[in-house]
Amino acid sequence: MIATQDGADAPWQQIRAQLPQLERADILVGLPSLNNAETVKPVIQAVTTGLQQAFPAASVLLVNQDAGSHDGTPELMKGAVEERFPIALLSRTASGTSGIESFPRLSGGLAAGREEAFQAFLSATKEAGATACAVIDPSVRSVTPDWMAWLLGPIMESRADYVAPLFLRPRYEGSLTNTLVYPLNRALYGTAMRYHAGGGCGISGTLAGLYLTEPFWDERIARSSLETCLATVAIAEGRRLCQAGLGEKLAPSSAGGEDVSAVVAHTVGAAFYFMERYQDVWEHSAPTQPVLHTGIPYRPQPDRGPINIDKMMRGFRQGLRDLLPIWEIILSPETLSGILPLGLVEKDDFRFPPQLWAQTVYDFALAYHDKVLHREHLLKSLTPLYLGQMASLVLRTQHQKPEDVEECIEELCDTFARTKPYLVERWRFS
Amino acid sequence: MKEMWQDAMLEAFHETSRRLGLFLPKLLALLTFLALGVIAGWLVKALLMRLLSALRFDAFCERMGLMQALARAGVVRPASSLIGRLSFWTVFLVFGLMGIDALSLPATANLMSVLLGFLPHVIAAAFLLLFGVLLGNFLAEAALITAVNAQIQEARFIAQLVRWAVYLFTGAMVLTQLGIAKEIVVAAFCIIFGGIVLALAIALGLGGRHIARDKLERRLRRRRAEEDELTHI
Repeated sequence: MIATQDGADAPWQQIRAQLPQLERADILVGLPSLNNAETVKPVIQAVTTGLQQAFPAASVLLVNQDAGSHDGTPELMKGAVEERFPIALLSRTASGTSGIESFPRLSGGLAAGREEAFQAFLSATKEAGATACAVIDPSVRSVTPDWMAWLLGPIMESRADYVAPLFLRPRYEGSLTNTLVYPLNRALYGTAMRYHAGGGCGISGTLAGLYLTEPFWDERIARSSLETCLATVAIAEGRRLCQAGLGEKLAPSSAGGEDVSAVVAHTVGAAFYFMERYQDVWEHSAPTQPVLHTGIPYRPQPDRGPINIDKMMRGFRQGLRDLLPIWEIILSPETLSGILPLGLVEKDDFRFPPQLWAQTVYDFALAYHDKVLHREHLLKSLTPLYLGQMASLVLRTQHQKPEDVEECIEELCDTFARTKPYLVERWRFS
Repeated sequence: MKEMWQDAMLEAFHETSRRLGLFLPKLLALLTFLALGVIAGWLVKALLMRLLSALRFDAFCERMGLMQALARAGVVRPASSLIGRLSFWTVFLVFGLMGIDALSLPATANLMSVLLGFLPHVIAAAFLLLFGVLLGNFLAEAALITAVNAQIQEARFIAQLVRWAVYLFTGAMVLTQLGIAKEIVVAAFCIIFGGIVLALAIALGLGGRHIARDKLERRLRRRRAEEDELTHI
């Protein structure tokens, strides 16, 4: 971890070596990159224009950490800034990472060294005494100048410590977040905060200092679910939160090529990791509080293409057939007796009741806590149940308006909150 | 005549008394060793079970699928209890062998040294067996979950194949470690394992070559059928 090891201020030393006249900055914008030559110019254009428009009096520092581009991304980035702001280019090896360590990340479809870049930006934010830090993904083609005001404005005005991105997406996209992570975290921590992965986020200088002392950087979840880590720590630590509606996100999609069960395991695993960490917080959390919103209001978009319900149903039914011995270990008899009859229901009548889904997620959280199975096996065995729940949601709402999906998500959130005593009682005695 | 009878009687009596005098301390030593074996075995068992309980060994075994495997074999005791019992009987056996050695019987003269010389092999074989069962269950579970999530209909068959391949490999290693028919075991293992691989290769070559070609083409050419992807996560 950068903040606690020797050379903790290595990014800042590199920045000072490149920009000797720089003493401090009000705003730091971090730009983690890897072969983004196609998109980097318009993104930098939008970022610099946005900064000039929204914060004309602030001293700004741009920092790029490149994970080993072969297309000259850092040089293009520096050229695109055109002396409007100071920019420092950091290399990954300076933060103590050798090239070979990035192989598993690359093979796993994850951005190489992304969490190291975040650590470098947070460390530089702290050393520069900056009030706010924004991290912008240069691969996102839809970055506009407004993003800077939306991500940094609430922090500069001392209204928020963490600004999470919220994109306009087709109604069923991000369903793992919408139907599992969001209702779970909302029930646990009493904060109605939604967030999407990637694109950009805003972090206050004080929160950056806190993040650097966090132990999650040494865990696998920091590589696979960084946004969940940042958002959950901010929520559980009681920091001021904000959601920034950033419009549509146009970026190379990774979800389609990624194994669904791996995504489920990473995302849900991160949520469960923080449940163990913040047990004392969520056991006594207050009723749900609304979260500040800036930017474009969130509304679900129409579908981009057909949703393959049959494949989801097949996945659920096969799980019920083949994974039953594993689910018998994980799920309570009460939950299992609710799930078993679903295997006999015809497709059109198939519904996964919200109450049953909440109990299922809580049973998995309890089994994760009790370590009844190898944790990766446990998390991956949730996939067929998630597919069943997802199929049920699509079957219920496919002929309705996109907004009706939001009603279902709200219903899920209420059910998770209502069922929370079921979790608390069992967690205490496990 | 009478004197000769008396001498014979006395000699026999003295000889028996002398032999009994020599044997009784050895018998006493045997009984003492047995009693000590019970006490030491009980102590080791109690300490080991307490240690395993503190380390949550039963939960670990359940997590690794060992308990399920034992349950399938009709053993319903917790793993810590099984290991406790095993440790008791091992300690008792060692003390028992010491007692038998104390009797100095010609038939059991080298028993102790032979058995003690073999003990490391038995312990190593036991560990191999335990590790093999745990590994087999773990890999079978991983294969099952992966295959189910990939919606492969033969998921359970694949999982069983993985489990029994590891068991087979473990069994061969255990028998080799114990030195039981080494050559036969190695030859049998090679024949069975090679046979399975050959059978699978022939089955794939004859029955599934079109599927294999299609799969390889899709993988190598990165062709993705849009309708088969779950992109909404």
